[in-house]
Amino acid sequence: MDEKFDCIIVGAGVAGLAAAMTLARNNMKFLLIERGEFAGAKNVSGGVLWGNDLAKLVPEYWKEDAGWDRFINHRRLSFMDEESCFTVDFKSSHFNEPPYSGVVVLRSKFDRWLADKVQETIDESDFAMESFIATNILVEEILMEDDKAVGIRTGDEKFYADSVIIAEGVNNLLTRQVGLQDDYVPADHMLTGIKEIIQFDQKKLEDRFQLSGKSGLSNEFVGFASDGVEGGGFLYTNRETISLGLVLGVKDLREKEKKPHDILNKFKTHPVIKDIIKDGEVVEYSAHVVSSGDKQVMPKKLYKDGLLICGEAANLLMNAGKAIQGMDYAMRSGILAAETIVDSKEKNDFSEHSLQEYEKALNDSYVMKDINNFQDAVHLLHDPVMTQKMPNLICDFGRNFFTIKNQPTKKARTILNESVKKHASYWDLIKVGIKGGKAL
Amino acid sequence: MKITVCIKQVPDVNAPIQIKDGQLIQDSNRKILNAYDASAVEAALVLQEDHGIDQVEVVLIGPEKAKETIRKALAMGADKGIHIITEEENSFDSFAYAQLLAGFFKDREYDYIFCGKQSQDTDSGLTGSMLAEFLGLPYTTNAVGLEMADGDLTAKRQGDSGQEIIELPSPGVVTCSNDMNDPRIPSLKGIMQSKRKPVDTISVTDLGVDLSEESTKTIINSYEEKPERKAGEKFEGEPEEIARKVAQLLDTEANVI
Amino acid sequence: MSTLLTYISVSDGKVKRSSLEVLSRCNQLAEENGLQSDALIIDPKANEVAVKVKAYGPSTIYTVEDPIFKNHLNTPLLKAMATALDQINPNVLAFASTESSKDILGALAANRDAAALADVSEFDLTNTGVKAKRPVMAAKIISSVESTSYPTILTVRSGSYDLIEKSVDSEVKEIAFSFDESDLKITLKEIIGATGDKIDLSEAETVVAAGRGAKDEEGQKLVEELASLLNGAIGASRALTEAGVYDPSLQIGQTGKVVSPQLYIAVGISGAIQHVAGMANSKVIVAINKDPDAPIFDIADYGMVGDLYEVLPPFIEELKKIVNS
Ligand SMILES: Cc1cc2nc3c(=O)[nH]c(=O)nc-3n(C[C@H](O)[C@H](O)[C@H](O)COP(=O)(O)OP(=O)(O)OC[C@H]3O[C@@H](n4cnc5c(N)ncnc54)[C@H](O)[C@@H]3O)c2cc1C
Ligand SMILES: Cc1cc2nc3c(=O)[nH]c(=O)nc-3n(C[C@H](O)[C@H](O)[C@H](O)COP(=O)(O)OP(=O)(O)OC[C@H]3O[C@@H](n4cnc5c(N)ncnc54)[C@H](O)[C@@H]3O)c2cc1C
Ligand SMILES: Nc1ncnc2c1ncn2[C@@H]1O[C@H](COP(=O)(O)O)[C@@H](O)[C@H]1O
Repeated sequence: MDEKFDCIIVGAGVAGLAAAMTLARNNMKFLLIERGEFAGAKNVSGGVLWGNDLAKLVPEYWKEDAGWDRFINHRRLSFMDEESCFTVDFKSSHFNEPPYSGVVVLRSKFDRWLADKVQETIDESDFAMESFIATNILVEEILMEDDKAVGIRTGDEKFYADSVIIAEGVNNLLTRQVGLQDDYVPADHMLTGIKEIIQFDQKKLEDRFQLSGKSGLSNEFVGFASDGVEGGGFLYTNRETISLGLVLGVKDLREKEKKPHDILNKFKTHPVIKDIIKDGEVVEYSAHVVSSGDKQVMPKKLYKDGLLICGEAANLLMNAGKAIQGMDYAMRSGILAAETIVDSKEKNDFSEHSLQEYEKALNDSYVMKDINNFQDAVHLLHDPVMTQKMPNLICDFGRNFFTIKNQPTKKARTILNESVKKHASYWDLIKVGIKGGKAL
Repeated sequence: MKITVCIKQVPDVNAPIQIKDGQLIQDSNRKILNAYDASAVEAALVLQEDHGIDQVEVVLIGPEKAKETIRKALAMGADKGIHIITEEENSFDSFAYAQLLAGFFKDREYDYIFCGKQSQDTDSGLTGSMLAEFLGLPYTTNAVGLEMADGDLTAKRQGDSGQEIIELPSPGVVTCSNDMNDPRIPSLKGIMQSKRKPVDTISVTDLGVDLSEESTKTIINSYEEKPERKAGEKFEGEPEEIARKVAQLLDTEANVI
Repeated sequence: MSTLLTYISVSDGKVKRSSLEVLSRCNQLAEENGLQSDALIIDPKANEVAVKVKAYGPSTIYTVEDPIFKNHLNTPLLKAMATALDQINPNVLAFASTESSKDILGALAANRDAAALADVSEFDLTNTGVKAKRPVMAAKIISSVESTSYPTILTVRSGSYDLIEKSVDSEVKEIAFSFDESDLKITLKEIIGATGDKIDLSEAETVVAAGRGAKDEEGQKLVEELASLLNGAIGASRALTEAGVYDPSLQIGQTGKVVSPQLYIAVGISGAIQHVAGMANSKVIVAINKDPDAPIFDIADYGMVGDLYEVLPPFIEELKKIVNS
């Protein structure tokens, strides 16, 4: 019973499950450990899983009804002030065919489903009886010998492996324990996400959001949504519910002495949102910390002798205005980490030297490319001009532009000038323009 | 000596529940080992540890997916599982489950059968004593403590006003309250070992129990929300102040003093 | 004529109010449907007890008298039930929900090939059986259930129906019964922790319930003071019965007792659904808890946010003034 595993994965979130699936496919003997009652139990969030890595993990997943909720073919970005909402709206049948480029998932359901898929793959592998998914187990320590990871400890039980993948998510205590992340992460790099699940009659939901079959909508909100705090709002359509929520800067919340839940309640009173959620019933509320995706708080490196870090534990996340991306990064990094382990097993070399291939692969992937390229966008999003002045300006413009008063109509440029004067200086705009131009 | 524990997979009552058109929409992912059965398994394991009982086995009637609940009991330490497989859409009442269990136990060997005192979701509390009656066995319900001497059990059962200490010869049936113990949480080793423990599967038809019309004697027609109890007023501030206010309101507004 | 039979629970010669509630309901149903409502008493002094039941007007009161019924034991009780049912042959047999009735409900139903409905909060007759409402999922929701055949045996939650007196000249019929001790398959060795003449929790008008917040002696002293001032019964959450602070028979909730008093005061109780399952039907709920977000406040009519050690003393003082005036 005490035999050694090829790999122990800590955390059955998207990253850990992706890694486990990859290991199972490659006939590795591994242990996947999750502290929640089941995979997904601790994952209150949900959202859009962007890109099509899921199809790599579970080919033709779209043929199954389970696991995912809707595919996205309709995207909106809304700027709001107190009373108005100016929306950029894009819908295309181009997105209607699988593999989809974005699917909405509810994590508790999705993770559980993916875990079942991993189990099926384990059952078909050479190590059907020797690989495990163990839930309700908290990993308390990564066992290190001579600065090399050799296993894990839970309670007074110890388990050994050639390699350990840490996929523990945002609250990365183990990553800190092995010394790859500073103990103190300043609050300005932390966001808090809160979300309500609002239930509708399915027919009503589909009518209201113009959904057909399993198509879905994602909508981001900037401005009034976050009530002056840095951050923004989001809305996704699930199968029978919508997720409506906010992502807010922890430091800014603290400084402005505002509570996320109050801001969400205020957001819901906005006339446009009120119409959107009318007759819906809140069936769930949850809150969770997310990292801001600032590269400055990434672990120093993502490998060590016998050890790899992936997913949000490695702070792989991006919140650059048009979407929060984290699950796709988690998935890809999990796959890459596992592939590196498979290669290392072949070479029988789990040293730092061998495992650093993971970081290389990650750097070559879209994950790090995106994160590197969009750093400025991340900073831009946290600029107060972006969260307050800009939305006000845009709404003001919209209001005047769309108002017909039976008076001589002003030219759009004049209206825009007036709006700019009222809500921002040209200087602000130029700054944002330059930043934005560079960032995106 | 052998103890067989009847375990059931139930929806987690802590999970959000929705009702649509009178039907219960349950998250099929949030199914757990009935807490009362977990206590029954725990009790059997403690007896095994203390009195060298040869075997603790668990039996569950439920769909394919309920197997994970058997694994949970095996991970806690039970030696063997028996899965009586039903169709996903089957819905039985306690009477039918008890008949099926009686069919199962008819030709088997056991010294004691443990059940949970009730199902956490339906709170019926019928199956155990029904099973005892079908098998013609003595039984005791709502046990909050168990002791064994010379192979016979003494149960402490929670009665209406006190605890009744009851001697129960074998073979017999005990239904267990969760007040009896705190079920162990499976260790990682336990989870790993559980995978190698035997689980026999039996189909309902193999039991040869005639589940005709009469065997399900009660039906559930619909579900509804409980009439909501609104939160009243919440008083914060100086203890003397809120104490005075609430005392007065209880007298003048609520009229309950 | 078809009969609705109510089993009258007796403890220490005292009739349980909850079983008279059930009898009142059966009387009402019998009247509406042209049926007969009878009562059954199984007790060492059943005939004496019968006199007290007359005020609630069953047509016939059946009695089974034997010393064996001094304490609850399922084997003789089941035998007496079977004997009585053979003779009376009712369509419906209704009990108040108690640990004793729940102990035999399943076995009796299996023995009589009867439908069983446990712990209903409402019931009515159909052409072929009984329809009822039952709280399920730790009393978070209500299910509408139906038995499809007679006889149907059910237990009814206390507080579900009002007591209605009725002057009918009930006839008392004693059912012959004998029990051979050697038929006792199980033996009752001892009863411990009997609550004696304290106020019966499940029937009290006022309940003061203590939770983990009141886990030390000082807390319990305050709880006791409050309860005795209001002439109420003391109850507890599982946190305190499990810790051995209060007798397990005082536990309120899914595993414990269901209460529905006029006034329920939760002292240092968080309001877990399993606890709420046993008290949500109280008329007025007062909660004292230092955590303003404790779920108990979601159902409390009067919530007092504060440390119970600071709130209870002045609260008791204020109540004393009211009670004494
Ligand atoms: C409100 C909100 C909205 C979001 N929306 C989106 C979106 O629309 N699109 C998107 O792509 N991303 C979104 N994200 C981000 C996304 O959720 C994360 O990036 C993603 O979950 C990271 O996956 P992970 O597997 O690395 O970590 P997680 O999903 O957090 O999984 C980590 C797992 O490890 C377990 N664990 C932790 N420590 C231990 C331990 N010591 N022992 C055992 N198990 C342990 C945890 O229980 C957990 O299950 C959102 C986040 C929030 C908060
Ligand atoms: C199957 C099952 C059945 C169960 N059945 C029952 C049952 O029948 N009955 C039951 O009660 N439970 C039952 N439980 C347990 C239940 O889930 C809770 O664990 C239990 O009710 C908690 O008790 P509590 O509220 O006293 O303790 P806690 O949940 O620990 O709450 C204590 C509260 O006291 C407050 N507090 C602490 N100190 C102070 C102070 N100085 N002043 C004011 N407030 C203070 C705290 O803020 C807290 O809210 C069951 C559980 C299961 C799984
Ligand atoms: N499907 C089942 N499989 C095994 N045991 C069961 C099943 N249903 C009920 N039981 C047993 O009966 C108890 C609950 O009875 P009841 O409350 O009548 O549903 C459980 O705690 C189990 O011990």
